[in-house]
Amino acid sequence: MSNWFGQVLDRADSVNDWLSPKRQSSLALLKERQWPTRKTEDWKYTPLHALDTFESGLPAANEAAPSEFIADLAIAGLDSIDLIFVDGVLQSAAVLDELPEGLSIYSLPDLPEGKQSDVLGDFAAIKPERHLFGLINDVLATQGLVIEVAAGATILQPIRIVSAINNSTEAHTRLQVKLGESSSLAVIEQYVGNDACFNTGVAEYDVADNAQLEHYRFALQTSAAMVVGGSHFKLGNRSRLNSTVVGFGSQLSRVDVDVHHAGEYAEAKLNAIYLLDNNELFDLHSTIEHAVPHCITEENVRGIVADKARAVFNGRIHIHRDAQKTLAELNNRNLLMSNEAEVNTKPELEIYADDVRCAHGATVAEIDKSGLYYLQSRGISRAQAQVMLSFGFINELVDQMPNQILAEWLRPQLRERFANMDVK
Amino acid sequence: MTEEINQALKREYEAGFVSDIQSDTFEPGLNEDVIRRISAIKNEPEWMLEWRLQAFRIWQEMEEPEWAHVSYPKIDFQEISYYSAPKSMADKPKSLDEVDPELLATYDKLGIPLVEQQMLAGVAVDAVFDSVSVVTTFREKLAEAGVIFCPISEAVHEYPELVKKYLGTVVPQRDNYYAALNSAVFTDGSFVYIPKGTRCPMELSTYFRINEQNTGQFERTLIVADEGSHVSYLEGCTAPQRDENQLHAAVVELVALDDAEIKYSTVQNWYPGDEEGKGGIYNFVTKRGVCHTSAKISWTQVETGSAVTWKYPSCILRGDNSIGEFYSVALTRGMQQADTGTKMIHLGKNTRSTIISKGISAGHSNNSYRGLVRMGPRAEGARNFTQCDSLLIGDQCGAHTFPYVESKNASAIVEHEATTSKVSDDQMFLCQQRGLDPEKAVSMIVNGFCKEVFKELPMEFAVEAGKLLEISLEGSVG
Amino acid sequence: MLSIKNLHASVEDKTILKGLDLEIKPGEVHAIMGPNGAGKSTMGYVVSGREGYEVEEGAVTLNGVDLLELEAEERARAGLFLAFQYPVEIPGVSNLEFMKAAVDAQREADGEEPVSSKDFLKLAREACKQVHLPVDFLKRGVNEGFSGGEKKRNEIMQMLLLKPKVCILDESDSGLDIDALQVVAEGVNSQRSPDRSFIVVTHYQRLLDHIKPDFVHVLSDGKIVKSGDASLAQELEDQGYAWLKEQRAVGAAQEQSA
Repeated sequence: MSNWFGQVLDRADSVNDWLSPKRQSSLALLKERQWPTRKTEDWKYTPLHALDTFESGLPAANEAAPSEFIADLAIAGLDSIDLIFVDGVLQSAAVLDELPEGLSIYSLPDLPEGKQSDVLGDFAAIKPERHLFGLINDVLATQGLVIEVAAGATILQPIRIVSAINNSTEAHTRLQVKLGESSSLAVIEQYVGNDACFNTGVAEYDVADNAQLEHYRFALQTSAAMVVGGSHFKLGNRSRLNSTVVGFGSQLSRVDVDVHHAGEYAEAKLNAIYLLDNNELFDLHSTIEHAVPHCITEENVRGIVADKARAVFNGRIHIHRDAQKTLAELNNRNLLMSNEAEVNTKPELEIYADDVRCAHGATVAEIDKSGLYYLQSRGISRAQAQVMLSFGFINELVDQMPNQILAEWLRPQLRERFANMDVK
Repeated sequence: MTEEINQALKREYEAGFVSDIQSDTFEPGLNEDVIRRISAIKNEPEWMLEWRLQAFRIWQEMEEPEWAHVSYPKIDFQEISYYSAPKSMADKPKSLDEVDPELLATYDKLGIPLVEQQMLAGVAVDAVFDSVSVVTTFREKLAEAGVIFCPISEAVHEYPELVKKYLGTVVPQRDNYYAALNSAVFTDGSFVYIPKGTRCPMELSTYFRINEQNTGQFERTLIVADEGSHVSYLEGCTAPQRDENQLHAAVVELVALDDAEIKYSTVQNWYPGDEEGKGGIYNFVTKRGVCHTSAKISWTQVETGSAVTWKYPSCILRGDNSIGEFYSVALTRGMQQADTGTKMIHLGKNTRSTIISKGISAGHSNNSYRGLVRMGPRAEGARNFTQCDSLLIGDQCGAHTFPYVESKNASAIVEHEATTSKVSDDQMFLCQQRGLDPEKAVSMIVNGFCKEVFKELPMEFAVEAGKLLEISLEGSVG
Repeated sequence: MLSIKNLHASVEDKTILKGLDLEIKPGEVHAIMGPNGAGKSTMGYVVSGREGYEVEEGAVTLNGVDLLELEAEERARAGLFLAFQYPVEIPGVSNLEFMKAAVDAQREADGEEPVSSKDFLKLAREACKQVHLPVDFLKRGVNEGFSGGEKKRNEIMQMLLLKPKVCILDESDSGLDIDALQVVAEGVNSQRSPDRSFIVVTHYQRLLDHIKPDFVHVLSDGKIVKSGDASLAQELEDQGYAWLKEQRAVGAAQEQSA
């Protein structure tokens, strides 16, 4: 049992707000759970011992973060609705007063009483119960947002939610997002802070019939930061999800993505990128539940792993008995750059319907030799050719991001990481 | 259409008869005394008994694995009998003439005549009936080539140095729950040694038959191919149709020394239980081989039987340039459950492995591929290619794929692909339009799906495997 | 300019080149013809330094510089260009980015500053136009999803930008229709100059109708067995390569009797 986990259990009872009924039921589940070991399938390759000795430190109440700190979090050229949490606390609610029509955003603690019972009903309803840190977030997250898009509304500005760590060592934020029928929205989840800290970020997205969600999760913390969390989606009839996850590894970095196809003809396109160096670890677990017929999933995950870093990918596609005519494809490709680096990948198919087309593939390899030679034959040095090819390998997915301003913002960060990587 | 196909898949289990043979069978139960009695009956040396007892103690501290995608009621290991042998075998018949004719008739009925003149030319057979080896054919002919092929119980006496040197080196006693149990109570099985530079002049084959009720079969096979040698080994298994589940927990160890090659083929047709899932064999088997420098081990399996299968024939590619292969067809129907696959552990440089797995699920069955490909830090230039295809027949069955890929070497290349498909109405229509009945059409499509694996089987077995699938597809098509 | 002397080379322990000699002076166009498996592509790979091609014997120099001592990229910077028969696709790396990196590497080797992005874009656009490729090909991944003809034209486009001293065109005509063939030939012809040489490797004569060679060589079984002027190409077109076999058989017989 982890020291920190013990503290969570102790501390949970002290949280008292309108979400308490839900927190209590999650706490009850949590108390029945074993702390994961190497034998726990979900954590087989990702040890949690860093949390054994982790000293919890809650944020100092209501202390506003320095403005330079907040200014640094901006994304140049992006016209977005920004909601910044520093050390788990929402910095300014001013933006909430001037939202475009059809969009409502509430800070979790300030949710109007009239909405509380609805949100209570949705809370933890999409996120699968098996996620240990999801339950922990249920119990500990007192800050967060409830976002609603009215039926038929198209929100042009993306909503950017930043969870940054400045002073404290812990932050637990929660997002409850609900898209009405035929609405459309883009959400950027961004996690920031490289110091020793522990950050859980859980987001639940309820996408109603015919709605469209564009989603990004940037888990770009490195070094001593520990970040565990998940983005969980429920898709209605003919709805569409386009999600991009980008991860740099850190001491402990784990993202769980769950997509539940609940309505027919829904489509999910999921891309994920990880780029790991030094001693970093990044673990992506995705589970796609096809519960109804005629849905489509296309998932592409690519990673580059250098130095002593470790990548973990588990991609499960589960086709239920009724989910006939499903199309589901998953592909995980890895480039291993050093003999001390490690990739552990497990694409899984679990299929109970016969009239479906499902495939998955996984590769671990080094850089394509014929590509290297081609570049060298044009005068480009071997080292540069390697960087170009590996960058291209990742960039293919960056190119597919629907928001190219974000892609422009991301590319230099990826390049910088490549520049520092110890490429053979 | 699906209904027709499912009808086509129903079939009688042809090997389900019971032989009327008087047997000496232990009372159910497992403790150290039982192990001492097994050892005493086999007249084993002290070291063998000690090894068994050590395994038993390890087993007692282990827990039954639960990670496989199968479910069955908990096994009561005290309700199983751990030894059963035909009474007539008590005096060890010296030649075939002395063997109980009823025993020979059993094998005849299974299509495995044990009289050498009637046998398939070029195949030597070790016939194991419940806990003992009945007869091993062509031993003299093999001896001329220096090849040892005998029951393992005999090898313990005749070749103790070889057995001591290799037994448990590939699958240690504590490897897993069933391997530990097998190490404690194994009764018979085959031992093969191929001397340096020798190409075994015949196919070697062991035929396993469970007959007695409530007994478990725990055979142990050890094959050692010395440097530069070559052997092809086949294994077949059947059991009578009974309402109770029976346990089969075997261990197979292969050692391929430098430049040696072992080809190991299995046609597994244990009783699968009835349509409602009553009865059938629990087939919990550990098979593993180790390859030294430039050696090759090739596993081919056709799995159509057993109620529950838990089996992962594996290769440890220890030596540089060694090769591991796994070709598998697993057909489940009725209430069968199979969780099978392989492990390819690449330790040496330039090691190569190929995995081709074809799973066919029908009825209410569940069929899982579970595999591990591991590239160790020193596996420079190693390569793996894996292709797992599933064919679903009907919408009440399941097909699953759980591949683990672990790579720690930058120059190693691992490629895994999996697809799933069904026997499409279009394919069926085309066949029928060309005059084939649905049975033949399904059988043809399924055979085509499995072709890559069948071509790896030795010829005699390829025919048998094809027939086995065809029998599966026999039945009343309305 | 380019001098190949007694070149013996092997791939996977199989000797392919068995004493190749070729002298190319500035401004000359040499055509290398020969049957399949003669070693035509191997020659290009060995000279340009592809991994896995072992030089067993012989020398290759470019303006006195020993090419065999250099890495593939150093040979390119020394002025050697190989237009590939089957150019590889590199998704995610844009054509523009790729060529700018190549041109800058070349400039750096020559002690020059990198070209500005703006200037380079202009140059690249012009080059595209010259080979009739739409300019948006610059933004696409290198050769990604290009048709066979587009790939070949892309190779010539790269040649225009890199301005090499010696160009080896490896079956640049294969798989092209007549229009694409003309585009390739025009690209090459526009680059002919007194200080630039070409080696045109081809199976057929038709490319040589558009790029007039000064010399034609027949490569067979790893060495040049016959050389002549442009008329030799026509001769080969008429006769095919069967006569080579006979010649070889005769040669073998003579060796035996000797």
